Amino acid sequence: MSHRIYLLPPWLRLWHWTNAALIIVLAVTGASLHFAGEGGYLVPFSLAAKIHDIAGVALACAYGFFVLANIVTGNWWQYVPKPPGVLARCLTQARFYAFGIFRGEPHPYPPTVEANFNALQAVVYWFIMYLVVPTVVVTGLIFFYPELAPTKIYGLDGLLPVAMLHYIAGAVVILFMVAHIYLGTTGVRPTSLFKMMITGWHEE
Amino acid sequence: MRPSTKSLFAALAFTALAAASGAGIAAEVKGAAPTDPALIEKIRKSNAECYACHTEAGLKNPPRADMDLAALTKFIHDPKQFDGSNHTGMECKVCHGQGYVAFPHAPEAKKSISECGECHATKALRVETQFEASVHAKNLKDAFTCQTCHDPHVYKVAAKVGDPRKIVAQDNAMCVDCHNSDLRYSAFSTALPTKKVRPDLYATHDWLPNARLHWSAVRCIECHTPVSPVKSLATSHEILAKDKSDKACVTCHSQDSALATRLYRYASTNVGADLGFANAQVLGSAYVVGATRNPLIDRAVIGLFGLTVLGLLGHGAVCVVLALIRRRRTS
Repeated sequence: MSHRIYLLPPWLRLWHWTNAALIIVLAVTGASLHFAGEGGYLVPFSLAAKIHDIAGVALACAYGFFVLANIVTGNWWQYVPKPPGVLARCLTQARFYAFGIFRGEPHPYPPTVEANFNALQAVVYWFIMYLVVPTVVVTGLIFFYPELAPTKIYGLDGLLPVAMLHYIAGAVVILFMVAHIYLGTTGVRPTSLFKMMITGWHEE
Repeated sequence: MRPSTKSLFAALAFTALAAASGAGIAAEVKGAAPTDPALIEKIRKSNAECYACHTEAGLKNPPRADMDLAALTKFIHDPKQFDGSNHTGMECKVCHGQGYVAFPHAPEAKKSISECGECHATKALRVETQFEASVHAKNLKDAFTCQTCHDPHVYKVAAKVGDPRKIVAQDNAMCVDCHNSDLRYSAFSTALPTKKVRPDLYATHDWLPNARLHWSAVRCIECHTPVSPVKSLATSHEILAKDKSDKACVTCHSQDSALATRLYRYASTNVGADLGFANAQVLGSAYVVGATRNPLIDRAVIGLFGLTVLGLLGHGAVCVVLALIRRRRTS
Protein backbone atom coordinates (compact mmCIF):
# COMPACT_ATOMS: atom_id res chain seq x y z
CA MET A 1 0.00 0.00 0.00
CA SER A 2 1.31 3.44 -0.93
CA HIS A 3 2.29 6.03 1.68
CA ARG A 4 0.03 9.11 1.87
CA ILE A 5 0.62 12.48 3.56
CA TYR A 6 -1.82 15.36 3.83
CA LEU A 7 -0.12 18.44 2.36
CA LEU A 8 -2.62 20.91 0.97
CA PRO A 9 -5.34 22.63 3.00
CA PRO A 10 -8.68 23.39 1.28
CA TRP A 11 -8.03 27.15 0.94
CA LEU A 12 -4.82 26.48 -0.99
CA ARG A 13 -6.49 23.99 -3.35
CA LEU A 14 -9.45 26.28 -3.90
CA TRP A 15 -7.14 29.21 -4.64
CA HIS A 16 -4.96 27.05 -6.92
CA TRP A 17 -7.82 25.94 -9.18
CA THR A 18 -9.42 29.39 -9.21
CA ASN A 19 -6.06 30.85 -10.16
CA ALA A 20 -5.52 28.16 -12.81
CA ALA A 21 -8.92 28.76 -14.42
CA LEU A 22 -8.43 32.54 -14.40
CA ILE A 23 -4.94 32.30 -15.88
CA ILE A 24 -6.18 30.09 -18.72
CA VAL A 25 -9.02 32.55 -19.45
CA LEU A 26 -6.62 35.50 -19.24
CA ALA A 27 -4.06 33.77 -21.47
CA VAL A 28 -6.63 33.03 -24.19
CA THR A 29 -8.27 36.47 -24.07
CA GLY A 30 -4.91 38.23 -23.63
CA ALA A 31 -3.51 36.53 -26.74
CA SER A 32 -6.73 37.40 -28.60
CA LEU A 33 -6.26 41.07 -27.71
CA HIS A 34 -2.55 41.22 -28.42
CA PHE A 35 -2.67 39.30 -31.70
CA ALA A 36 -6.02 40.83 -32.73
CA GLY A 37 -6.94 40.57 -36.39
CA GLU A 38 -4.62 37.67 -37.11
CA GLY A 39 -7.03 34.76 -37.28
CA GLY A 40 -10.52 33.44 -36.68
CA TYR A 41 -9.31 31.20 -33.86
CA LEU A 42 -9.07 34.22 -31.55
CA VAL A 43 -11.87 35.46 -29.28
CA PRO A 44 -13.56 38.54 -30.87
CA PHE A 45 -11.81 41.69 -29.61
CA SER A 46 -14.73 43.35 -27.82
CA LEU A 47 -15.71 40.13 -26.02
CA ALA A 48 -12.07 39.34 -25.20
CA ALA A 49 -11.63 42.83 -23.72
CA LYS A 50 -14.64 42.44 -21.45
CA ILE A 51 -13.70 38.94 -20.29
CA HIS A 52 -10.05 39.93 -19.78
CA ASP A 53 -11.11 42.89 -17.61
CA ILE A 54 -13.39 40.79 -15.41
CA ALA A 55 -10.98 37.86 -15.12
CA GLY A 56 -8.11 40.28 -14.46
CA VAL A 57 -9.87 41.87 -11.50
CA ALA A 58 -10.79 38.39 -10.24
CA LEU A 59 -7.13 37.32 -10.51
CA ALA A 60 -6.04 40.41 -8.58
CA CYS A 61 -8.55 39.52 -5.83
CA ALA A 62 -7.40 35.88 -5.86
CA TYR A 63 -3.81 37.05 -5.54
CA GLY A 64 -4.71 39.30 -2.62
CA PHE A 65 -6.38 36.30 -0.96
CA PHE A 66 -3.31 34.15 -1.64
CA VAL A 67 -0.95 36.67 -0.02
CA LEU A 68 -3.20 37.18 3.01
CA ALA A 69 -3.82 33.46 3.51
CA ASN A 70 -0.09 32.79 3.21
CA ILE A 71 0.63 35.36 5.91
CA VAL A 72 -2.14 34.13 8.21
CA THR A 73 -1.34 30.41 7.89
CA GLY A 74 2.46 30.80 7.66
CA ASN A 75 2.41 28.96 4.32
CA TRP A 76 4.65 31.70 2.83
CA TRP A 77 7.60 29.93 4.49
CA GLN A 78 7.20 27.04 2.04
CA TYR A 79 8.21 29.35 -0.83
CA VAL A 80 11.49 30.38 0.80
CA PRO A 81 14.42 28.28 -0.44
CA LYS A 82 16.27 27.29 2.72
CA PRO A 83 20.06 27.44 2.77
CA PRO A 84 22.55 25.91 2.93
CA GLY A 85 23.01 24.15 -0.38
CA VAL A 86 20.06 25.67 -2.25
CA LEU A 87 21.99 25.81 -5.52
CA ALA A 88 23.32 22.26 -5.14
CA ARG A 89 19.80 20.93 -4.44
CA CYS A 90 18.44 22.87 -7.43
CA LEU A 91 21.11 21.30 -9.64
CA THR A 92 20.32 17.83 -8.29
CA GLN A 93 16.65 18.40 -9.06
CA ALA A 94 17.47 19.72 -12.58
CA ARG A 95 19.71 16.72 -13.19
CA PHE A 96 16.81 14.48 -12.18
CA TYR A 97 14.54 16.11 -14.82
CA ALA A 98 17.34 15.96 -17.41
CA PHE A 99 18.50 12.38 -16.81
CA GLY A 100 17.21 10.57 -13.72
CA ILE A 101 13.54 10.76 -14.70
CA PHE A 102 14.32 8.85 -17.94
CA ARG A 103 15.95 6.09 -15.94
CA GLY A 104 12.96 5.81 -13.64
CA GLU A 105 14.87 7.10 -10.58
CA PRO A 106 12.79 8.30 -7.61
CA HIS A 107 12.32 12.06 -7.03
CA PRO A 108 15.43 13.26 -5.17
CA TYR A 109 13.46 15.44 -2.73
CA PRO A 110 9.94 14.08 -2.24
CA PRO A 111 7.56 16.48 -0.45
CA THR A 112 7.19 16.38 3.30
CA VAL A 113 4.82 18.22 5.65
CA GLU A 114 7.70 20.53 6.59
CA ALA A 115 8.91 21.12 3.02
CA ASN A 116 6.18 20.82 0.38
CA PHE A 117 8.52 21.93 -2.37
CA ASN A 118 11.96 20.85 -3.52
CA ALA A 119 14.53 23.67 -3.75
CA LEU A 120 14.07 24.23 -7.50
CA GLN A 121 10.30 24.28 -7.06
CA ALA A 122 10.56 26.79 -4.19
CA VAL A 123 12.85 29.09 -6.19
CA VAL A 124 10.65 28.97 -9.29
CA TYR A 125 7.37 29.30 -7.37
CA TRP A 126 8.80 32.19 -5.36
CA PHE A 127 9.92 33.91 -8.59
CA ILE A 128 6.52 33.38 -10.24
CA MET A 129 4.24 34.09 -7.29
CA TYR A 130 6.14 36.96 -5.67
CA LEU A 131 7.70 38.67 -8.70
CA VAL A 132 6.03 37.77 -12.00
CA VAL A 133 2.36 37.48 -10.95
CA PRO A 134 2.45 40.75 -8.94
CA THR A 135 3.98 42.41 -12.02
CA VAL A 136 1.11 41.15 -14.18
CA VAL A 137 -1.46 42.18 -11.57
CA VAL A 138 -0.07 45.67 -10.94
CA THR A 139 0.49 46.48 -14.62
CA GLY A 140 -2.96 45.11 -15.40
CA LEU A 141 -4.52 47.35 -12.77
CA ILE A 142 -2.65 50.35 -14.23
CA PHE A 143 -4.41 49.55 -17.54
CA PHE A 144 -7.67 50.25 -15.70
CA TYR A 145 -6.33 53.60 -14.54
CA PRO A 146 -3.94 54.68 -17.33
CA GLU A 147 -3.58 58.10 -15.70
CA LEU A 148 -1.37 56.35 -13.12
CA ALA A 149 1.19 55.62 -15.83
CA PRO A 150 3.75 58.29 -16.71
CA THR A 151 2.51 60.60 -19.48
CA LYS A 152 5.62 60.20 -21.62
CA ILE A 153 8.84 58.22 -21.50
CA TYR A 154 11.57 59.09 -24.02
CA GLY A 155 8.99 60.65 -26.33
CA LEU A 156 6.73 57.58 -26.23
CA ASP A 157 3.44 57.07 -24.45
CA GLY A 158 4.07 56.27 -20.78
CA LEU A 159 1.74 53.28 -20.95
CA LEU A 160 4.18 51.49 -23.28
CA PRO A 161 6.56 50.17 -20.58
CA VAL A 162 3.53 49.15 -18.48
CA ALA A 163 2.06 47.30 -21.46
CA MET A 164 5.37 45.65 -22.35
CA LEU A 165 5.88 44.51 -18.76
CA HIS A 166 2.31 43.15 -18.66
CA TYR A 167 2.82 41.29 -21.93
CA ILE A 168 6.23 39.82 -21.08
CA ALA A 169 5.28 38.93 -17.49
CA GLY A 170 2.03 37.38 -18.81
CA ALA A 171 4.03 35.33 -21.32
CA VAL A 172 6.33 34.12 -18.51
CA VAL A 173 3.28 33.03 -16.47
CA ILE A 174 1.93 31.12 -19.50
CA LEU A 175 5.30 29.41 -20.08
CA PHE A 176 5.42 28.52 -16.39
CA MET A 177 1.86 27.17 -16.58
CA VAL A 178 2.72 24.91 -19.52
CA ALA A 179 5.79 23.53 -17.75
CA HIS A 180 3.84 23.29 -14.46
CA ILE A 181 1.08 21.22 -16.09
CA TYR A 182 3.69 18.94 -17.69
CA LEU A 183 5.59 18.44 -14.43
CA GLY A 184 2.23 17.65 -12.84
CA THR A 185 2.30 14.42 -14.83
CA THR A 186 5.61 13.31 -13.30
CA GLY A 187 4.17 11.88 -10.07
CA VAL A 188 4.08 8.17 -9.25
CA ARG A 189 1.33 8.01 -11.84
CA PRO A 190 0.60 10.73 -14.46
CA THR A 191 -2.58 11.64 -12.58
CA SER A 192 -1.43 11.39 -8.96
CA LEU A 193 -0.20 15.00 -8.59
CA PHE A 194 -3.43 16.36 -10.14
CA LYS A 195 -5.34 14.17 -7.70
CA MET A 196 -3.25 15.63 -4.86
CA MET A 197 -4.26 19.13 -5.92
CA ILE A 198 -7.92 18.05 -5.60
CA THR A 199 -7.80 15.92 -2.41
CA GLY A 200 -4.83 17.50 -0.64
CA TRP A 201 -3.21 14.08 -0.10
CA HIS A 202 0.19 13.35 -1.59
CA GLU A 203 0.78 9.78 -2.64
CA GLU A 204 4.22 8.19 -2.76
CA MET B 1 -24.89 72.24 -47.42
CA ARG B 2 -24.50 72.96 -51.15
CA PRO B 3 -20.93 74.17 -51.23
CA SER B 4 -20.21 73.50 -54.83
CA THR B 5 -23.49 74.36 -56.46
CA LYS B 6 -22.25 77.73 -57.47
CA SER B 7 -18.69 77.24 -56.36
CA LEU B 8 -16.85 77.43 -59.67
CA PHE B 9 -18.75 80.46 -60.82
CA ALA B 10 -18.45 82.01 -57.38
CA ALA B 11 -14.73 81.36 -57.22
CA LEU B 12 -14.18 83.04 -60.56
CA ALA B 13 -16.43 85.93 -59.65
CA PHE B 14 -14.72 86.34 -56.28
CA THR B 15 -11.25 86.35 -57.86
CA ALA B 16 -12.32 88.91 -60.42
CA LEU B 17 -13.98 91.08 -57.77
CA ALA B 18 -11.00 90.88 -55.45
CA ALA B 19 -8.59 91.75 -58.23
CA ALA B 20 -10.74 94.59 -59.48
CA SER B 21 -11.59 96.25 -56.18
CA GLY B 22 -8.50 95.37 -54.17
CA ALA B 23 -10.81 95.14 -51.18
CA GLY B 24 -10.29 91.44 -50.46
CA ILE B 25 -6.87 90.87 -49.04
CA ALA B 26 -6.20 87.15 -48.87
CA ALA B 27 -2.96 85.27 -48.33
CA GLU B 28 -0.32 85.69 -51.02
CA VAL B 29 0.05 81.92 -51.30
CA LYS B 30 -2.98 79.66 -51.06
CA GLY B 31 -3.27 78.25 -47.56
CA ALA B 32 -0.42 80.33 -46.17
CA ALA B 33 -0.53 83.45 -44.02
CA PRO B 34 0.87 86.59 -45.69
CA THR B 35 4.52 87.39 -45.12
CA ASP B 36 4.75 90.94 -46.46
CA PRO B 37 4.99 93.23 -43.36
CA ALA B 38 3.04 96.04 -45.02
CA LEU B 39 0.23 93.67 -45.96
CA ILE B 40 0.21 92.08 -42.50
CA GLU B 41 -0.10 95.54 -40.92
CA LYS B 42 -2.92 96.49 -43.30
CA ILE B 43 -4.84 93.31 -42.42
CA ARG B 44 -4.19 93.85 -38.72
CA LYS B 45 -5.60 97.36 -38.86
CA SER B 46 -8.59 96.26 -40.89
CA ASN B 47 -9.37 93.38 -38.50
CA ALA B 48 -8.84 95.65 -35.48
CA GLU B 49 -11.82 97.68 -36.71
CA CYS B 50 -13.98 94.53 -36.47
CA TYR B 51 -12.47 93.43 -33.15
CA ALA B 52 -13.29 96.83 -31.67
CA CYS B 53 -16.83 95.48 -31.31
CA HIS B 54 -16.75 91.70 -31.99
CA THR B 55 -14.61 90.63 -29.01
CA GLU B 56 -15.22 90.29 -25.28
CA ALA B 57 -13.30 93.56 -24.81
CA GLY B 58 -15.46 95.26 -27.44
CA LEU B 59 -18.61 93.99 -25.77
CA LYS B 60 -17.47 95.39 -22.41
CA ASN B 61 -16.46 98.76 -23.86
CA PRO B 62 -18.49 99.27 -27.02
CA PRO B 63 -17.05 102.05 -29.18
CA ARG B 64 -20.54 103.44 -29.86
CA ALA B 65 -23.49 104.04 -27.61
CA ASP B 66 -26.15 103.07 -30.15
CA MET B 67 -25.19 99.40 -30.45
CA ASP B 68 -27.50 96.44 -29.88
CA LEU B 69 -25.32 94.60 -27.34
CA ALA B 70 -27.70 91.64 -27.06
CA ALA B 71 -27.30 91.00 -30.79
CA LEU B 72 -23.55 91.59 -30.60
CA THR B 73 -23.20 88.87 -27.92
CA LYS B 74 -23.96 86.26 -30.59
CA PHE B 75 -21.07 87.40 -32.77
CA ILE B 76 -18.14 87.55 -30.39
CA HIS B 77 -14.79 86.13 -31.53
CA ASP B 78 -11.46 85.50 -29.89
CA PRO B 79 -8.61 87.05 -31.92
CA LYS B 80 -6.13 84.60 -30.40
CA GLN B 81 -8.26 81.66 -31.50
CA PHE B 82 -8.61 83.17 -34.97
CA ASP B 83 -4.84 83.63 -35.18
CA GLY B 84 -4.43 79.93 -34.39
CA SER B 85 -7.01 78.87 -36.96
CA ASN B 86 -6.67 77.89 -40.59
CA HIS B 87 -7.74 81.36 -41.66
CA THR B 88 -5.10 83.21 -39.68
CA GLY B 89 -3.69 86.16 -41.58
CA MET B 90 -6.90 86.68 -43.50
CA GLU B 91 -8.85 89.88 -43.45
CA CYS B 92 -12.35 89.52 -41.93
CA LYS B 93 -13.74 91.31 -44.97
CA VAL B 94 -12.53 88.58 -47.33
CA CYS B 95 -15.53 86.55 -46.21
CA HIS B 96 -17.65 89.26 -44.63
CA GLY B 97 -18.27 91.33 -47.75
CA GLN B 98 -19.44 94.81 -48.55
CA GLY B 99 -22.45 94.69 -46.23
CA TYR B 100 -20.08 94.71 -43.23
CA VAL B 101 -17.83 97.60 -44.23
CA ALA B 102 -19.91 100.33 -42.57
CA PHE B 103 -21.79 100.38 -39.25
CA PRO B 104 -24.64 99.78 -38.81
CA HIS B 105 -24.08 96.78 -41.09
CA ALA B 106 -26.41 96.43 -44.04
CA PRO B 107 -29.66 94.59 -43.20
CA GLU B 108 -28.90 91.96 -45.84
CA ALA B 109 -25.20 91.79 -44.94
CA LYS B 110 -25.39 88.14 -43.95
CA LYS B 111 -26.16 87.26 -47.54
CA SER B 112 -22.85 88.75 -48.59
CA ILE B 113 -20.83 86.30 -46.51
CA SER B 114 -18.77 84.19 -48.90
CA GLU B 115 -19.55 80.52 -49.14
CA CYS B 116 -16.68 78.17 -48.28
CA GLY B 117 -16.67 76.87 -51.82
CA GLU B 118 -15.74 80.28 -53.16
CA CYS B 119 -12.19 79.72 -51.99
CA HIS B 120 -12.23 75.97 -51.39
CA ALA B 121 -13.80 75.07 -54.73
CA THR B 122 -11.87 71.87 -55.45
CA LYS B 123 -12.18 70.57 -51.92
CA ALA B 124 -15.87 71.45 -51.79
CA LEU B 125 -16.50 69.45 -54.97
CA ARG B 126 -14.83 66.40 -53.45
CA VAL B 127 -16.48 66.83 -50.07
CA GLU B 128 -19.96 67.34 -51.46
CA THR B 129 -20.33 63.84 -52.90
CA GLN B 130 -19.36 62.33 -49.57
CA PHE B 131 -21.47 64.76 -47.59
CA GLU B 132 -24.57 64.05 -49.67
CA ALA B 133 -24.39 60.41 -48.52
CA SER B 134 -23.99 61.38 -44.86
CA VAL B 135 -26.61 61.04 -42.16
CA HIS B 136 -26.52 64.81 -41.67
CA ALA B 137 -27.39 65.57 -45.31
CA LYS B 138 -30.12 62.92 -45.37
CA ASN B 139 -31.78 64.18 -42.19
CA LEU B 140 -31.07 67.88 -42.10
CA LYS B 141 -30.65 68.80 -45.77
CA ASP B 142 -29.67 72.46 -46.25
CA ALA B 143 -29.95 73.24 -42.55
CA PHE B 144 -26.56 71.58 -42.23
CA THR B 145 -23.68 73.60 -43.66
CA CYS B 146 -19.88 73.44 -43.53
CA GLN B 147 -20.01 75.90 -40.64
CA THR B 148 -22.28 73.69 -38.58
CA CYS B 149 -19.13 71.72 -37.78
CA HIS B 150 -16.25 73.85 -39.03
CA ASP B 151 -16.25 77.27 -37.34
CA PRO B 152 -14.08 79.21 -39.81
CA HIS B 153 -12.91 81.51 -37.01
CA VAL B 154 -11.53 78.62 -34.99
CA TYR B 155 -11.04 75.48 -37.10
CA LYS B 156 -7.61 74.22 -38.05
CA VAL B 157 -7.08 71.26 -40.38
CA ALA B 158 -5.53 68.13 -38.86
CA ALA B 159 -2.43 68.42 -41.04
CA LYS B 160 -1.63 71.77 -39.40
CA VAL B 161 -2.57 70.68 -35.86
CA GLY B 162 -0.27 67.64 -36.10
CA ASP B 163 -0.56 66.44 -32.49
CA PRO B 164 -3.16 63.62 -32.53
CA ARG B 165 -4.44 64.49 -29.03
CA LYS B 166 -5.15 68.07 -30.13
CA ILE B 167 -6.79 66.86 -33.34
CA VAL B 168 -9.04 64.59 -31.27
CA ALA B 169 -9.98 67.38 -28.86
CA GLN B 170 -10.82 69.80 -31.68
CA ASP B 171 -12.67 67.36 -33.93
CA ASN B 172 -14.68 65.62 -31.22
CA ALA B 173 -15.77 68.98 -29.84
CA MET B 174 -17.48 69.59 -33.19
CA CYS B 175 -19.57 66.42 -32.74
CA VAL B 176 -20.38 66.71 -29.05
CA ASP B 177 -21.30 70.37 -29.36
CA CYS B 178 -24.59 69.05 -30.76
CA HIS B 179 -24.66 65.38 -29.82
CA ASN B 180 -24.04 66.13 -26.14
CA SER B 181 -26.24 69.22 -25.98
CA ASP B 182 -30.01 68.90 -25.79
CA LEU B 183 -30.34 72.56 -26.73
CA ARG B 184 -28.27 72.43 -29.92
CA TYR B 185 -29.57 68.98 -30.87
CA SER B 186 -33.21 69.98 -30.53
CA ALA B 187 -32.56 73.18 -32.53
CA PHE B 188 -31.48 71.00 -35.46
CA SER B 189 -33.98 68.22 -34.97
CA THR B 190 -36.85 70.67 -35.57
CA ALA B 191 -35.92 70.32 -39.26
CA LEU B 192 -36.85 66.64 -39.10
CA PRO B 193 -40.37 65.44 -40.01
CA THR B 194 -40.69 64.07 -36.49
CA LYS B 195 -38.70 65.70 -33.74
CA LYS B 196 -35.97 63.43 -32.41
CA VAL B 197 -34.86 63.18 -28.80
CA ARG B 198 -31.09 63.30 -28.43
CA PRO B 199 -29.79 59.79 -27.73
CA ASP B 200 -27.57 59.50 -24.68
CA LEU B 201 -23.98 59.06 -25.85
CA TYR B 202 -23.12 56.60 -23.08
CA ALA B 203 -26.18 54.47 -23.86
CA THR B 204 -25.45 54.35 -27.60
CA HIS B 205 -21.82 53.47 -26.91
CA ASP B 206 -22.42 50.93 -24.13
CA TRP B 207 -20.98 48.18 -26.36
CA LEU B 208 -17.65 50.02 -26.57
CA PRO B 209 -15.15 49.05 -23.85
CA ASN B 210 -13.63 52.11 -22.10
CA ALA B 211 -15.83 54.54 -24.06
CA ARG B 212 -14.49 57.58 -22.23
CA LEU B 213 -10.89 56.57 -22.97
CA HIS B 214 -11.75 56.09 -26.64
CA TRP B 215 -13.38 59.52 -26.82
CA SER B 216 -10.25 61.18 -25.52
CA ALA B 217 -7.88 59.16 -27.69
CA VAL B 218 -9.60 58.86 -31.08
CA ARG B 219 -12.01 60.93 -33.12
CA CYS B 220 -15.68 60.03 -33.43
CA ILE B 221 -15.11 59.93 -37.18
CA GLU B 222 -12.66 57.01 -36.90
CA CYS B 223 -15.73 54.78 -36.61
CA HIS B 224 -18.40 57.13 -37.95
CA THR B 225 -16.91 57.61 -41.42
CA PRO B 226 -15.76 55.13 -44.06
CA VAL B 227 -12.22 55.31 -45.42
CA SER B 228 -12.04 58.30 -47.76
CA PRO B 229 -11.90 57.14 -51.37
CA VAL B 230 -10.30 60.50 -52.28
CA LYS B 231 -6.58 60.45 -51.49
CA SER B 232 -6.32 64.20 -50.96
CA LEU B 233 -8.99 64.06 -48.25
CA ALA B 234 -7.63 62.51 -45.08
CA THR B 235 -11.12 61.77 -43.83
CA SER B 236 -14.42 61.22 -45.51
CA HIS B 237 -17.28 63.67 -44.90
CA GLU B 238 -19.79 60.82 -45.15
CA ILE B 239 -20.75 60.77 -41.47
CA LEU B 240 -22.38 57.43 -40.74
CA ALA B 241 -25.29 56.74 -38.40
CA LYS B 242 -24.73 54.19 -35.65
CA ASP B 243 -26.12 51.22 -37.62
CA LYS B 244 -23.61 51.81 -40.44
CA SER B 245 -20.63 52.77 -38.29
CA ASP B 246 -17.60 50.55 -37.93
CA LYS B 247 -17.89 48.34 -34.87
CA ALA B 248 -14.94 46.13 -35.76
CA CYS B 249 -12.36 46.82 -33.02
CA VAL B 250 -9.62 45.33 -35.19
CA THR B 251 -9.92 48.18 -37.69
CA CYS B 252 -7.69 50.05 -35.24
CA HIS B 253 -6.61 47.29 -32.82
CA SER B 254 -4.46 45.27 -35.19
CA GLN B 255 -1.04 45.43 -36.75
CA ASP B 256 -2.72 46.69 -39.94
CA SER B 257 -4.29 49.53 -37.95
CA ALA B 258 -6.33 52.20 -39.73
CA LEU B 259 -5.02 54.69 -37.15
CA ALA B 260 -1.74 54.86 -39.04
CA THR B 261 -3.39 56.22 -42.16
CA ARG B 262 -6.13 58.23 -40.49
CA LEU B 263 -5.64 60.00 -37.14
CA TYR B 264 -1.88 59.45 -37.07
CA ARG B 265 -1.09 60.23 -40.70
CA TYR B 266 0.42 63.57 -39.66
CA ALA B 267 2.19 62.35 -36.51
CA SER B 268 5.95 62.42 -36.73
CA THR B 269 7.36 60.14 -34.04
CA ASN B 270 10.27 57.96 -35.03
CA VAL B 271 11.41 56.74 -31.62
CA GLY B 272 9.04 53.76 -31.71
CA ALA B 273 10.12 52.87 -35.23
CA ASP B 274 13.77 52.85 -34.12
CA LEU B 275 12.75 50.30 -31.47
CA GLY B 276 11.11 48.13 -34.11
CA PHE B 277 7.45 48.79 -33.25
CA ALA B 278 4.63 48.42 -35.73
CA ASN B 279 2.46 51.56 -36.10
CA ALA B 280 5.28 53.40 -34.32
CA GLN B 281 3.85 56.85 -35.05
CA VAL B 282 0.94 56.03 -32.72
CA LEU B 283 3.32 55.44 -29.81
CA GLY B 284 4.06 59.15 -29.56
CA SER B 285 0.73 59.62 -27.79
CA ALA B 286 -0.89 56.24 -27.21
CA TYR B 287 -0.25 52.56 -26.63
CA VAL B 288 -2.95 50.74 -28.61
CA VAL B 289 -3.52 47.07 -27.78
CA GLY B 290 -3.07 44.95 -30.89
CA ALA B 291 -1.62 47.82 -32.96
CA THR B 292 1.53 49.11 -31.32
CA ARG B 293 3.26 45.77 -31.19
CA ASN B 294 6.89 44.84 -31.48
CA PRO B 295 7.14 42.02 -34.03
CA LEU B 296 10.57 40.99 -32.73
CA ILE B 297 9.31 40.49 -29.17
CA ASP B 298 6.20 38.73 -30.52
CA ARG B 299 8.36 36.31 -32.51
CA ALA B 300 10.55 35.68 -29.44
CA VAL B 301 7.50 34.96 -27.25
CA ILE B 302 5.83 32.69 -29.82
CA GLY B 303 9.16 30.93 -30.48
CA LEU B 304 9.78 30.38 -26.78
CA PHE B 305 6.25 29.06 -26.31
CA GLY B 306 6.67 26.67 -29.26
CA LEU B 307 10.06 25.47 -28.04
CA THR B 308 8.71 24.91 -24.51
CA VAL B 309 5.73 22.89 -25.77
CA LEU B 310 7.89 20.87 -28.20
CA GLY B 311 10.58 20.36 -25.55
CA LEU B 312 8.06 19.12 -22.99
CA LEU B 313 6.31 16.87 -25.51
CA GLY B 314 9.69 15.44 -26.49
CA HIS B 315 10.65 14.99 -22.83
CA GLY B 316 7.34 13.26 -22.14
CA ALA B 317 7.64 11.01 -25.19
CA VAL B 318 11.15 9.89 -24.19
CA CYS B 319 9.93 9.27 -20.60
CA VAL B 320 7.04 7.13 -21.84
CA VAL B 321 9.13 5.15 -24.32
CA LEU B 322 11.88 4.47 -21.77
CA ALA B 323 9.30 3.52 -19.12
CA LEU B 324 7.74 1.05 -21.56
CA ILE B 325 11.14 -0.43 -22.36
CA ARG B 326 11.94 -0.77 -18.64
CA ARG B 327 8.57 -2.41 -18.01
CA ARG B 328 9.11 -4.87 -20.87
CA ARG B 329 12.59 -5.73 -19.53
CA THR B 330 11.37 -6.33 -15.98
CA SER B 331 8.42 -8.40 -17.15
